[in-house]
Amino acid sequence: MGEAVFLLKILLLTIEKENTMRRKHQTLTVILFLLPALALFLGVLIYPIISSIHHSFYEYRTFDNAGAFVGFQNYIDLFNDHYKFGKAVVNALILAALSVFIQLPLSLGLALMLGKGIKGERFYLSVYFMPVLISAVVIGMLWEKIYNPIYGIITKAFEFFNLSGLPTEGLLANKKTALIAVFIPTIWQYVGYHMLLMYAGVKGVSPELREAAKLDGATDGQVNRYVIIPSIKPVIKVSIIFAITGSLKSYDLIKVFAKDARNLPYEVPSLLLVRYVFGNYGGIASAIAVMMIIMCFAFAILINWLFKERNPYGTK
Amino acid sequence: MKRVIALALALVMVLSLAGCKKGTDNGGSSSSNNSSNSSSSSSSSSSSSSSSSSTTDNKGGDEKTTITMWCIATESDSNHNAYVKAIEEVSAKFPNVDFQWEAIENETYKTKIAAAMAANETPDIFFTWSCAYLGDFVNQGKVYCLDDVLSKYSSELPESMLGNTTYGGKHYGVPTTMNIVALFANMDLLAQAGWNKVPENYDELIKCCDDLLAAGIIPFGCAGGETWCVTEYLEPIIQKTIGSDALNGIFVNGATYDNADVAKAVDTFQMMIDKGYFDPAGASLPNDDVKQNFIDGRTAFYQNGTWNCADFSKANDGEFLAKVKVTEFPVIDSSKSKLGQLIGGPSDTLAVSASSPNAALAAEFAAELGKAICHYGYLDGCGLPAWTPFYDTSSINPLTVAVSEICKNADSYVLFGDTAQSAVDKEPYLNAVAKVYGKELDGAGFIAELKSAIR
Repeated sequence: MGEAVFLLKILLLTIEKENTMRRKHQTLTVILFLLPALALFLGVLIYPIISSIHHSFYEYRTFDNAGAFVGFQNYIDLFNDHYKFGKAVVNALILAALSVFIQLPLSLGLALMLGKGIKGERFYLSVYFMPVLISAVVIGMLWEKIYNPIYGIITKAFEFFNLSGLPTEGLLANKKTALIAVFIPTIWQYVGYHMLLMYAGVKGVSPELREAAKLDGATDGQVNRYVIIPSIKPVIKVSIIFAITGSLKSYDLIKVFAKDARNLPYEVPSLLLVRYVFGNYGGIASAIAVMMIIMCFAFAILINWLFKERNPYGTK
Repeated sequence: MKRVIALALALVMVLSLAGCKKGTDNGGSSSSNNSSNSSSSSSSSSSSSSSSSSTTDNKGGDEKTTITMWCIATESDSNHNAYVKAIEEVSAKFPNVDFQWEAIENETYKTKIAAAMAANETPDIFFTWSCAYLGDFVNQGKVYCLDDVLSKYSSELPESMLGNTTYGGKHYGVPTTMNIVALFANMDLLAQAGWNKVPENYDELIKCCDDLLAAGIIPFGCAGGETWCVTEYLEPIIQKTIGSDALNGIFVNGATYDNADVAKAVDTFQMMIDKGYFDPAGASLPNDDVKQNFIDGRTAFYQNGTWNCADFSKANDGEFLAKVKVTEFPVIDSSKSKLGQLIGGPSDTLAVSASSPNAALAAEFAAELGKAICHYGYLDGCGLPAWTPFYDTSSINPLTVAVSEICKNADSYVLFGDTAQSAVDKEPYLNAVAKVYGKELDGAGFIAELKSAIR
């Protein structure tokens, strides 16, 4: 009996040891598989963020010379009129608001229309998506020609119809119209992108749901409102996050309009960042970078929170 | 059918990629910006060529040493032709060098060279502006000293032309051409306003502008899309109000901007804007568009660098040259300034990277290249020669000849503000200039802003 118990104990110990070794082996395998992604994540995302935070506490008048440690002074200086960061943030927020309240409803409308399965669906899909495929530089140059105060199509149209009210300096140079003139192509360019995301969502909604609603006598508008849109809420959330963070980071198209000009009515944080980093204000540029990261994260968290499912009684 | 089309499209894409690769290997001779090179078979560079420095050891005899260069002589740049000819000529003199060059648009270049300097990834030879612009790189120890090489050229390159590239008594740059800011006038348009000569003093200029406006002609074109173009108007106005010494004191010698005469000059500039002398359409346009407007007869005057003589002499198949005259901006306050006080000087420069593994060879190449660019640039009308001309100059276009007459009577030069001032001071200066053109700062605001931001 005693021998049997002893043998059983040995058996159990052996099994446990094998299990421990297997677990260790599995853990090692998982770590090894995760290592490349982790290295990329740390090297490409985390390290630059930490580096930017570090740089933002120094002067960095030249690239290879950190200069004096200034603590949070760069952040305080950012809100000084001299650096125009506050105005740039306001512009970026206006762009974000326009994206959310004009661009996304347009995209949603197009997605719902095409998702219904109209004739020539593929053709329209390609046409609306085309601006996304064109380089921002090309779009910028195209719209610059449209806005040209001498030969632009808008100027010529005003001349043709004998209309007045177009600023002689052009829409891009007039302080009242420049902001909206720059933002129109920025918004126009990505309507197709969000439309495609939402279109995929619409197509993913079960046709039975749509048919059931129709059988119950729902109109197209009611089907969209009560069936399709609630079903694609996760896609809409992603689109809103992309639209807002994209607006806060917008650069390329605006740079094409800005060229080397300064003191523009449509300056955005990225434009200032690049100007300051190459204009011997590396510390200020890093502080802008950190602020942009914080803003993007904050908006992403806020939108996630706003879209969180809640029960009708207000508790989670 | 769909499969056949898809296959055909895929084939086209693969072939085009293969075509791109071939072009890269063979040097993409279609890209004139990147052509090289020595007379024989050696390949020209592609735009994607590495920016890093020389690669091949030259000691082997037959093996070629690769020397790389970045500059701003893009196809639309006035100096492009001079660079192409000069590179061809100098490459023939250095058969053991595989010369690869890349031309980058002016504003992009400033960003690119600054980033490359920081990363120690500069080409062997790089274009730069003299004075504080090059000085910042010299202070960082990034530029190779050219004393040994330039001593061989002392008879061809006057020491007076090296002042803007000399730091601590050592020479760091090979000047190519020198240029000034000048006032170009379309005499056909002036004639329509009853003027058969260019205005000779400030009162005449104002009267002429009023007459032009009365005749429905816009006097000036200024590119607000590129702030340096605004400085081409503002700096001569300040200079002709406060004098060269005072302006040089502010730009170079540490004097304060808090100068009532500077404020007065800024107010003069804004008075001209208020009176409608400047084309409003220029506010957001780039320089190329504004220059074209002048050539097309939209504006009567265009004030900019004399490198434009080359473009004006070729414009409209040479027809425009007969219409255009060049002069200097008139004196505003004769008690402080006088004719002959000019904005400009030898600024366009070639320099050699200290990190170049073949810096000595690159320095020799740069010296010969600078001389050749000067030669062809002068013949084209891209500026006056920094080197002593040794060739037939009888075919120089009349605009460049007129510029040389202006320079012959020069009293003093003040280098362009964005070149003369350090990189740190340049930023607030250009911001304030843009605000002046946008009517957000008047004279008092201009000096108050720069007094707090610079001195």
